[in-house]
Amino acid sequence: MRASPFAELLAALIRQRGVTGALVVSEADGIVVDANVSIGLKAEVLAALSASLYRRARLAAAAAGYGEATFLQLEAAQGRICAVGRSDLVLVAVTEPGANVGLVRMEMLKGLQGGALG
Amino acid sequence: MSDDIARLSEALARDPASLAFIELAEALRKRGDVEVATKVALRGLERHPHLGAAHDVLARLYADAGDLERAFDEWDMVLRFTPGHAGALKGLGFVRFHQGQLAEAERWLAQAAAADPADERNLGALAYVRQQLGTAAAPDAAAPPAEARAAASGHRATGTMGARELFADILGAEKGMALLLDEHGLVMAGGHEVDGRDVGQEVGAQLDSVGEEAERAMRHLGLGAWTSIVFETEQSTVAMAPGPENSLMLVSASRATPVGFVRRMLERSLQRAGRFLGGGR
Repeated sequence: MRASPFAELLAALIRQRGVTGALVVSEADGIVVDANVSIGLKAEVLAALSASLYRRARLAAAAAGYGEATFLQLEAAQGRICAVGRSDLVLVAVTEPGANVGLVRMEMLKGLQGGALG
Repeated sequence: MSDDIARLSEALARDPASLAFIELAEALRKRGDVEVATKVALRGLERHPHLGAAHDVLARLYADAGDLERAFDEWDMVLRFTPGHAGALKGLGFVRFHQGQLAEAERWLAQAAAADPADERNLGALAYVRQQLGTAAAPDAAAPPAEARAAASGHRATGTMGARELFADILGAEKGMALLLDEHGLVMAGGHEVDGRDVGQEVGAQLDSVGEEAERAMRHLGLGAWTSIVFETEQSTVAMAPGPENSLMLVSASRATPVGFVRRMLERSLQRAGRFLGGGR
């Protein structure tokens, strides 16, 4: 079986302390393209929300004349969702509240700049 | 809210002909259970097909689900049973606005303003639509009654100038934006100009129901209540948070501004929004 082209990227993200899930999602329809998540994490729900949020943020940024969206972070009482996107794909990470979001952000942007999403 | 839902469900189970289905559908809608709420409303309407309030709830459920045509039909039905129903008039204006039919949106919103002149949100939406019509196209001949226009414009003159500048001092020297949006993405206060044109409503339209969507997803994911969304763009940092009365507060600043300062601006704007909406936050 051939490994997904995103396996390495997702493995690097999930190794970060406090990261409980990493996914690549289609921005257009919120479908999971590849995922590396902890047991119990609802990847489909996460994918649908992340794709929708990222798309809306990108369109809102364009409407405001702010250029391309580069990084999105949703903060909740018991965790965070981070997302970066390119070419209709969104890379998503879910973290515990205590995770170092700065390191997670750097890892995600590194993946993006390395052309991991195309 | 769960207690209310349990109580109303029991009341309906005891008496299936009861009108409790209207309140139950609305409570479920507010909790984000749009599918279940729609079933409850449709089942109730089988027994009570001539109840305007039930058609109104169903219309809002369709609007939440993005089915604007069905929402329009239901609000139209409300007006047949309850002529002059302000919520239905506002809903019809909302649908036409989202479909880009500004002249018709203006007619419905003006009638809603005449039916409920104290509804500041509707007056804000009406003022915005009129502003857009002034730059895009003249309203067509079938204009609303003169008294409706007078009622609406009277409030606009005293209300929206203050609303537009509500967050100006918080933004200070930052050339960012501050927008207070209602649950449908309509601008209630603040604004944002690009090349001399206010694009606040265009930004708001992209964020329509975003808070509700985030809330629902957080519940399913077990992450608790969402407190903020921050997104970085090539030129700016944008931060938003849930505000009073299902509103959404959004502020932005240049990328050079530290994120912590943007969050501070957001917090101050939320406090201001709370006072503006009369919530005392």
